[in-house]
Amino acid sequence: MENLHRNTAPKFKTVDSIEILPSQKHSLSNNIPVHIISGGSQDVVKIEFIFNAGIWHQKKPLIATLTSTMLNEGTNSMTASEIAEKFDFLGAHVGFSASKHDANVTLYSLKKHFSETLTLTADLIKDSIFPEKEFSTILTNKKQQYQIEHQKTNVLAKEKFTQMIYGGNHPYSNTYDISEFDNCKRQDIIDFYKKHYTPSNCLIIIAGKVDDNVLAQVDYLFGEGKWTDQSKSADCKHEIIESKEKSAFVCKNDAVQSTIRIGRKLFTKTHPDYTGMQLLNLILGGYFGSRLMQNIREDKGYTYGINSIIISHLKDGHFTIVTEVGAEVCKAAVQEIFIEIERLREEIVSEEELTLVKNYISGEMLRNLDSPFALSDGLRGNLPFGFDNSYFQKFIKDLKAVTAKKLLDLANEYLKPEDLYLIVSGPKECEEAIVFPK
Amino acid sequence: MIEFDKFTLKNGLRVIVHRDETTPMAAVNILYNIGAKDENPERTGFAHLFEHLMFGGSVNIPNYDEPLQLVGGDNNAWTNNDITNYYLTVPKANLETAFWLESDRMLSLAFSEKSLEVQRSVVIEEFKQRYFNQPYGDVWLHLRPLAYKEHPYQWPTIGKSIDHIEKVTLEEVKDFFFHHYAPNNAIMVVAGNVDTQQVKELSEKWFAPIERREVPERNLPVEPVQNEFRSKRIDSNVPFDAIYMAFHMGKRMDEDFYIVDLVSDVLSNGQSSRIFQSLVKEKNLFSSIDAYITGEFEPGLFLVTGKLVEGVTMENAEAAIWEELNRIATTKVDAYELQKVKNKVESTLVFSEISYLNKAMTLATHELLGEADDINKEVDKYQKVSVDDILNSSAKLFRKENCSTLYYYSKK
Repeated sequence: MENLHRNTAPKFKTVDSIEILPSQKHSLSNNIPVHIISGGSQDVVKIEFIFNAGIWHQKKPLIATLTSTMLNEGTNSMTASEIAEKFDFLGAHVGFSASKHDANVTLYSLKKHFSETLTLTADLIKDSIFPEKEFSTILTNKKQQYQIEHQKTNVLAKEKFTQMIYGGNHPYSNTYDISEFDNCKRQDIIDFYKKHYTPSNCLIIIAGKVDDNVLAQVDYLFGEGKWTDQSKSADCKHEIIESKEKSAFVCKNDAVQSTIRIGRKLFTKTHPDYTGMQLLNLILGGYFGSRLMQNIREDKGYTYGINSIIISHLKDGHFTIVTEVGAEVCKAAVQEIFIEIERLREEIVSEEELTLVKNYISGEMLRNLDSPFALSDGLRGNLPFGFDNSYFQKFIKDLKAVTAKKLLDLANEYLKPEDLYLIVSGPKECEEAIVFPK
Repeated sequence: MIEFDKFTLKNGLRVIVHRDETTPMAAVNILYNIGAKDENPERTGFAHLFEHLMFGGSVNIPNYDEPLQLVGGDNNAWTNNDITNYYLTVPKANLETAFWLESDRMLSLAFSEKSLEVQRSVVIEEFKQRYFNQPYGDVWLHLRPLAYKEHPYQWPTIGKSIDHIEKVTLEEVKDFFFHHYAPNNAIMVVAGNVDTQQVKELSEKWFAPIERREVPERNLPVEPVQNEFRSKRIDSNVPFDAIYMAFHMGKRMDEDFYIVDLVSDVLSNGQSSRIFQSLVKEKNLFSSIDAYITGEFEPGLFLVTGKLVEGVTMENAEAAIWEELNRIATTKVDAYELQKVKNKVESTLVFSEISYLNKAMTLATHELLGEADDINKEVDKYQKVSVDDILNSSAKLFRKENCSTLYYYSKK
């Protein structure tokens, strides 16, 4: 034991490739595509119905989200409380969400109750009636949530930022005034439901313990002519209008911290520079060891956390840095963020740091893609771009090939201070933090 | 059924190994039997501040995160009133890096003034971000001291106030470390794509040389029985009124813990639950409402918390909650309703066992509370609960003199 060398790290292996459970593609009798990822240790099934019914497709604010939220509020054969009662008794969970382009209905069920829970889910998807009373309760509660959320500086800063880079009316900013709650009518929801929750707008992903019975059941409930068919909804057009102003201050006088957001519009994950930018983002602010975290949290103690992320929507994307800091250090924090950006544009990243982030991100992918449920999330993210999960293997390969020189070029192309937007939300004195580097 | 092996090193470190071949990863979870309840009332928030310092480098390894990230690992930790829990995950081939890092920081920290200085500021920002920069964020700073007069559960993990954290010295930090961060005060669980023989060898190599330490005996003040209704009014800059009711209940290992947990499920687990159906959907009194237990190791709290719909008076809202509590305390739940919440518990457990990391944490907690194998007895304990149990425990809980209520008013 006296030969233990505690100051020397043990040998390790890098993750050069990842093995991913493949998905199988099927079609229901009415041509709804079904992707299956079979495996896992527990007798559980997750089935997700993805509709082209996201915010992108709505004519008025709130409609896509409310339609999705209200799918379990009543059908021609069951009231909201009966629906809730049945799912709860079977220990199943059914979730609803509307994102920028899609809306999802996700059922998590024990395998032994799958037949029953799927039958219930089919009723929600095919036969929802959106009762007036439930509509008004949900609208009131969502309006209150909106008011609570809009007390937070991070929410205020995020809204301002997306408005500036996409334009106030664009679905990717999805910002709206509180008065929209009063403009929203039940009939809007019903119309949206009828138009968008149809077989031709649907895609299904099943993960977990999936066998032929599961698929047969899905085909029986969703593949036959018992579900109103309609033509695929036409793609909406939305124009992006970037703000000419590059900075904004959103005052929130009683806040004890301010939120800083710095970023820009970027591109989607089909762009050739996407992989390289992911790596650059990681180095700057994408993990705990990132430069922003090390400088602004671990060296200066200005914040509890600072992150940067790249978001790829279907048709566009953005890059953003976000942090919450004390009012007294707000200006200093903004300056330090710009210093870190400048370093990426001036100094070449060392081989040590490059190796570290490449290894870290490979491990992260292994960690995030190790179960059928996680893989189904990955697949959901990939399919709209025309990829399946073999995308991840290609991503790792491309990532390994990115050089330090390439990162320097990317930083100079995409992180010029004059292209960045700077938003601060907090007490009045933080307005003076809005200073771009000379 | 979660299978595992268990052994104890000579220095007292307990090690549990759970093999899950479905993942290419391995998790190492180390639970230290030290939480905010062990703090000096003049230095609250210390256990949590200390957790931050555990990432500031150890005696032989100046930087904890870098070598872990280099091998594709990731890590974090959390502190609550009872324990501090550190966890990491690595690709299975790099398990030894985890043993190297974790054993060195169990051996000794680097103890630097700079690290203390910085983490003090970070924790103060965390304090502000979580407790003051969110609407209703300071609730626990008011509710805990209302419900507890003697027991250290009267302060939240973050501490009573920011100035406690400001005063901490490096001497206190060292003292705390050597009294609590000992192999004989820790439980390590290794879960994932690992085998017991390998874990045994690595444990012997890296952890066995660390010496056993003196751990002071825990001697916590006992909370006297609450004999009268308590309340406090807060007027704050939030958009809506809110109510927070706290009832004293038993500790985690009490027999009726499982009963009381199911009481909270009948009231508020899922959309079909009683208070969601009656107070949100039917009567439109609350925009959100929840009933839950703190689940703490020592005698804990049963909470009912809700945000009022605009225009509803506090009196009406409070009366409506009491009506539901009195109903469950005086009328038997139907057998079907009880079966429903049991089914839900069982299903939640099955889903939680998908994650190797989650299994590691739960095994560690059960081992500390008694015996790791108790993890496999949970479902039975819930299944045994009867309709009468629910009635009796509810009657014991939901008495006015057992209640502390925080009225949180909107100033607008």
